[in-house]
Amino acid sequence: MAVCIAVIAKENYPLYIRSVPVQNELKFHYTVHTSLDVVEEKISAVGKAMADQRELYLGLLYPTEDYKVYPSHMIIVYYTPVCMFFILIENILLYRHTRYGYVTNSKVKFVIVADSSNTSLRDNEIRSMFRKLHNSFTDVMCNPFYNPGDTIQSKAFDSMVSAMMVQAS
Amino acid sequence: MAQCVQSVQEFIQDSFVPMVAVLCSEDAEKVTRKNNLNFSELLRPFCRLTSEGHMRDPSNQLQVVKNLRISVNNVVTRPSVPSSGVPGHAHRRLLSEVVLTCQPAEGGVANVITAGDYDLNISDRSLKASVPWYSDWRDTLTELSTSKHYTATTPWFEAYRESFLQSMPASDHEFLNHYLACLLVVSSSEAVPVEKFLKLSQEQHRIQHSGEYTNPKWFIPNTLKYYVLLHDMSQGDEQRADSVYEDMKQRYGAQGCYLLKVNSRTAAAGADEQIPDPWSQYLHKSSLQTPVVVNNTAVENNVGGTSEVDGHDSEEKGSLDNTHPLQLDTPSDTPGSLDALRAVAVETKPPPLTTGVAAATSHGACLTLNDHDRIRLFIQEFTFRGLLPHIEKNIRQLNDQLVSRKGLSRSLFSATKKWFGGGKVPEKSIAELKNTSGLLYPPEAPELQIRKMADLCFLVQLYDLAYSCYHTAKKDFLSDQAMLYAAGALEMAAVSAFLQVGAPRPYPAHYMDTAIQTYRDVSKNMVLAERCALLSAEVLKSQAKYSDAATLLIKMTSEDSDLRSALLLEQAAHCFINMRNPMVRKFAFHMILAGHRFSKAGQKRHALRCYCQAMQVYKGKGWSLAEDHINFTIGRQSFTLRQPENAVTAFRHILTNDSQQTSTQQGAFLREYLYVYKNVTGACEVALPQLPLPCINSSATRVYFGHERRLAEGEKQAATHVSLDQEFDRDLAAMWQDLEEQVVAAAKRGVVPATFQSTQCCLNSQTDNLRFPLAVVEEPIIVEVVFRNPLKVPLVLSDLSLLWKFTLKDFNRPQTQEDSVGDAVPISNEKEASVPRVRVCVTFVSINFFCLIPLCLLPQARLKLLPHQTGQLNILGLVYNLGTSVRGRQDLEIQGPRLNQTKEEKTSVSHGPDRRLDPTITPPMPLLEVFFLQFPTALLCGEIRKAYVEFCNMSRVTLCGLRVASTHPDFFTFGSSSLATPLTPLSPTSFENCSAYKTLATPPGATPGSVAAVTLVSEGDFGSGTGLRGGVSGAGTGGKGITEIPLGEGTLKPGESTQLPMWLRGPDQEGVHEIHFLFYYESAEKGGKISHRVLRHTVFICASRSLSVRATACRSNTLPEEEEEERNGSMLVFVDVENINSSEAGVREFHIAQVSSSSKQWRLHKCINPAEDKDCKLTSRERGKLCFRATRCKPLQAEKYTFADLSLGNELIITSTTPCADFFFRRCQPLESLRPPVAMETQGRHSRSQGVGHGGGDKDIAGVVRKCNEVDLDIIILWKAFVVEDNKQVILEGQLHVALQTIDKEACSLTPKEEAQEMVLLKFKPELPPPMTRPSMEQLSHLIKTNLQYPESYSHPFNQKRYLCMVPVTLTLSNCSLAQVDVIIDLRHKTTSPESLEVHGSFTWLGQTQFKMQLGAQEVMRVQLRACFLHAGVYNLGTPRVFAKLADQGAMCETSQQTATPALIIIINST
Repeated sequence: MAVCIAVIAKENYPLYIRSVPVQNELKFHYTVHTSLDVVEEKISAVGKAMADQRELYLGLLYPTEDYKVYPSHMIIVYYTPVCMFFILIENILLYRHTRYGYVTNSKVKFVIVADSSNTSLRDNEIRSMFRKLHNSFTDVMCNPFYNPGDTIQSKAFDSMVSAMMVQAS
Repeated sequence: MAQCVQSVQEFIQDSFVPMVAVLCSEDAEKVTRKNNLNFSELLRPFCRLTSEGHMRDPSNQLQVVKNLRISVNNVVTRPSVPSSGVPGHAHRRLLSEVVLTCQPAEGGVANVITAGDYDLNISDRSLKASVPWYSDWRDTLTELSTSKHYTATTPWFEAYRESFLQSMPASDHEFLNHYLACLLVVSSSEAVPVEKFLKLSQEQHRIQHSGEYTNPKWFIPNTLKYYVLLHDMSQGDEQRADSVYEDMKQRYGAQGCYLLKVNSRTAAAGADEQIPDPWSQYLHKSSLQTPVVVNNTAVENNVGGTSEVDGHDSEEKGSLDNTHPLQLDTPSDTPGSLDALRAVAVETKPPPLTTGVAAATSHGACLTLNDHDRIRLFIQEFTFRGLLPHIEKNIRQLNDQLVSRKGLSRSLFSATKKWFGGGKVPEKSIAELKNTSGLLYPPEAPELQIRKMADLCFLVQLYDLAYSCYHTAKKDFLSDQAMLYAAGALEMAAVSAFLQVGAPRPYPAHYMDTAIQTYRDVSKNMVLAERCALLSAEVLKSQAKYSDAATLLIKMTSEDSDLRSALLLEQAAHCFINMRNPMVRKFAFHMILAGHRFSKAGQKRHALRCYCQAMQVYKGKGWSLAEDHINFTIGRQSFTLRQPENAVTAFRHILTNDSQQTSTQQGAFLREYLYVYKNVTGACEVALPQLPLPCINSSATRVYFGHERRLAEGEKQAATHVSLDQEFDRDLAAMWQDLEEQVVAAAKRGVVPATFQSTQCCLNSQTDNLRFPLAVVEEPIIVEVVFRNPLKVPLVLSDLSLLWKFTLKDFNRPQTQEDSVGDAVPISNEKEASVPRVRVCVTFVSINFFCLIPLCLLPQARLKLLPHQTGQLNILGLVYNLGTSVRGRQDLEIQGPRLNQTKEEKTSVSHGPDRRLDPTITPPMPLLEVFFLQFPTALLCGEIRKAYVEFCNMSRVTLCGLRVASTHPDFFTFGSSSLATPLTPLSPTSFENCSAYKTLATPPGATPGSVAAVTLVSEGDFGSGTGLRGGVSGAGTGGKGITEIPLGEGTLKPGESTQLPMWLRGPDQEGVHEIHFLFYYESAEKGGKISHRVLRHTVFICASRSLSVRATACRSNTLPEEEEEERNGSMLVFVDVENINSSEAGVREFHIAQVSSSSKQWRLHKCINPAEDKDCKLTSRERGKLCFRATRCKPLQAEKYTFADLSLGNELIITSTTPCADFFFRRCQPLESLRPPVAMETQGRHSRSQGVGHGGGDKDIAGVVRKCNEVDLDIIILWKAFVVEDNKQVILEGQLHVALQTIDKEACSLTPKEEAQEMVLLKFKPELPPPMTRPSMEQLSHLIKTNLQYPESYSHPFNQKRYLCMVPVTLTLSNCSLAQVDVIIDLRHKTTSPESLEVHGSFTWLGQTQFKMQLGAQEVMRVQLRACFLHAGVYNLGTPRVFAKLADQGAMCETSQQTATPALIIIINST
């Protein structure tokens, strides 16, 4: 299942981003942000004329790149005259995750990051996840009290996303 | 991208150059040492050949050798890099130094790359620290500064690459960096130079062939020896040198030796001459190229030098040490090699004190330009005469060997075929045959001979030949499964394929990939893999295959070297941004990764730069988590790099933006920020810096003028006025302003001055802040600042105070010069040193401790200022301590409301001024305090209560013109001023159980309720004069509720206070009432800036139900003559009183103490209660009825009100005095205003029809008809309630008013509850005028009052043959209207209703049965009738029908008049 699900506005700022486990949030933010380049590349690869018939599902982002996974933490030791802080900074290095992209006709992007160690995920499942996501997103947009461009704070959407995520064990 | 100064071809060419070793005698070394250089260093800037060389390839074709460079190095026998393929510490350290010293120039030209919607500023344009060759270095510089096509350089990367490549260890599988030749250098000052040459030659031979040393490696067994005689021009004998040289020529041949003359001047003499110093650019890295210098001293010097240059502190150094444990600390690493080093390179001991910087200044001090030329010539001579022929010869030799042995072309052909045809060998073999990677060929193996030849060809730019040789070699190696060798051949094959002129074949990128993979995975040799990757990436970049290059570079990042990973990641990032569709985000991301690795590698400056560049992409795009992370890193790096300002800015970003971090994270951010901030502020003491936290919601700032109020003082209750605790309510504010306007109008005799401006005591964002607010001297100004804590951790503020500026101004004496001159300078408390002087003008109170708890909605701080002098005050901001000891300020800047009046303002966004914080301090004004004593909170409806008000003048100025305006003027009264006699004791203490009313004991013996006491009162005496007059004249708006407060002399002296009684009457409606008072007063001294002041008070009164009174007036049927007073008609008034109190208030019972009337026309005459019950008592839900007769007043009293009091108890309340009459008149006011709608209801249709223009007659009818039914009688019910309160019986008093307006219409004391506002239908067409209607039948039926007079019983002896009984009956008709009425009396009319069927038999009227007559206004007429009865019995005489119509209305038909009640007569048979 997914470990991170993000909805990105047309202008490429996050409308919604949620990940498990929570402490890796930063890492996923970076991941999703970086994926946008590939998404944009994929969109622009389809000609203008074809844009309407284009399939919304973009498939696997980064199909070729495989990165190494690095040990997870670095510790910065920081001295002050008063006391000493050990600050744990999440190592931002990524990977071992597969990213999938999906772009609606209004150029809102969905990115799902899945744990690639989970081999049981098939393309079809990913597709249906995106479809569910899209439907739920449409519901959010239909809410007359939702101001387009605001971050999504819908309980229904939240619960739908939670259902698609791996529960942190 | 990392654009290189060199082209790719140049770069690769320079990476592989012929290597030349140097062996130097001590004397020769001394000669060069004068220039602070050793011999190889001396040559280094001149090692690039500017002229073309020529040589023949094996097929005897002449080839041009262009731009050749050679590398001259001292012989070092110690292996510089351990053979394991992992760079040693020293090596790493040096690379790190190179990168560290090469930093982007500060303030470089902005270099903006536009990628999509991002504008990236990559401003690291800088000089390349290493200039490739001397002759061109100037050109390079100019090219650098003028070139347009390059975008971003990363000179540190190039420096790194260059150092890296040059320090590549020589390995066995390739020959490229093996020494080809050896220069033997001997000084001419040597006693016997030839002998020395011999010795050196032997030394070289020993090094190469004895087998003692594995290093250096030599290309070919018979290395070219070139003999150089070094002559010092300043010292030696030139003649002798020449002769020695001649001798050498004899011995070694003219092409094998050279005489080099240097040091044409002495160091001291040459100071005046400016000689370019090409070495300075070089020698920075020279230590790398000649690892000889790498000994302990050099390392120390380098470290010392860098810390000087960069100003790094020990912390920095410490971290460097952490990442790279010092070689010094672990001398056991290579003790042997160090010793060896010393033994061989004795001459290289540098003076220990020379630092890198110092050495650079003195290079080549003894060399003239001539000498430079000589050296250049020497190199050229050596290369073209010595080296190239030597290489040429060797190539031929090797070629011959190979051809003879194998047949090169065949092998080449088959290899090609094998490679492209069906060979899957290489891929498989890599995977399977790792264990054979250790395979070593003996040095003379034929396979290596091909490789050797290929390398030779490559070095002299014979790339075609080199390629074919590499290709063959590769095939051979692969078939032998010698993977390391194969990888080397693959690598070089690819490179030479790329370098071939005209590129006959595409660049075989897969060769490179295979090579890298082999190096890395099979041979575990990262150095070689890295070299390969660097070359390949460069080639790929030159072919615009950026994505491939990036992939390659990213693959090379690994854990073992942070520095390399960082540099490669950065290059990869640059690749992403250079793609045709720039991938900005990937760029940013990899920059961050690079920055991370840089910081791990101790390269803080580079790390910072990387993060900053990445920041450009993330900034302000909503990726807050990432942004915070970058900001945090930037902040920390900046701080460690001694850029605290940047650090503060970066941290501020994290804290001020709405951060989504966890609270622990935020806490860490905050601590860090405070720490950094403290360091910054510690550095500069000039002005307090701005703090970013907490956020101040400046528009929510409120300013309050005046003292903080005490709400209660003992039993005194102070006026509520305005306080900061109240929320602003727009409606309320409008209401207050309206009240103030009214009271000002009343005070200014009905006119509101044009300059009127309502008093605002508390300014906030919704008040009108366009004008400078006025504050009074010696009265505090309280500023409430609203904070917002954006963090999830608490913020502690302490020592808060306001920052302000004050300009003195004397408003009283503006003409005096010296005052204004001296005081024009604004005084401010911005600098805390000037506090004592400042105290004179304004004192301020600071808050000691204030904690902002996260998620607390709007924490506010109230700060107080007390101005002591008049002038202009500007409140600038806040000063406070954040956290423990960080002191800073924050300005309060309030943006005014957006202007939206004119077109320009609508189209642009402009804001008006907001002067909330700029009060003008004016001279003293009176200050009123109002206290209420015994002020109730709950009242019964209509209850009268007496309370006391105390007015205090708190200021030093006399107060006058005290007035009060209220929203409920009927609620209170101060009594009428005309009746000056104190009616009740003035002091409230003796008030207990004393009635609020003025009472008289009823004379003993008099029957209660028998006769009314009558008083005449003029309206003007009551109703607090102005109010009513205003009410009459001012059409509803002007001063309807204004009361002048009767102060003793109209003024209140400073410090004085007065107590006045005040009567309250519970509102008629039950429920909670909000009652507002506005006290208005002026200063006795006129002409101040403030014309008046006001004080507000709001009370809440809870009214509970008491009695409900309903009254009806009926015409009495009594005859007018009965009493004189009733000549003008009389009425019966029925009063129904019901106790509707739901006894929760403990009301036991109500007594109706008195009923009074007040009217201009009618008065109550007497009580005609049938019951003898003299005191009417009503317990809960009980109902009582009272009947009264009312008579008309005497006509001359038209303008005066007649008060008639009918006491039912034993004391008489004089209603015509305060407070009863006051309340009576006060309640009239709203009634007056209520009347129009009432009138509309009753006769509105009429008045409307007039407007349409129908005849005036209708109006008359209406008027007449109404008049005839109208009663204008007000009944006042005075009651007493017995209430049990705390086991004590309390008597409460009250009065209720009922206004009787129409006869037979019930009126109620409770104004009918406002019916739910009827939904008004929207009508788009004007409503049709309603059809003209006449006065209703019902109204018309009241025109004539009829009365039958007859004996109640009549005895008649029927049995005495007198069968008929005649009874005389008088019918009295009285005209109630003021018009002539035609009346028809019809006696024949029989009732047709079944119920009135004569049961007892019928009677008949005798005589005339129909009368027609006319009655004048209020005329009474009697008609004599006779009734005839046949039997005894009870008869109803009320059968005559009276029809009436107004005399002048011909068209109208007569209306049947209401008959009197059944008139029963009893006929008795008297027998």
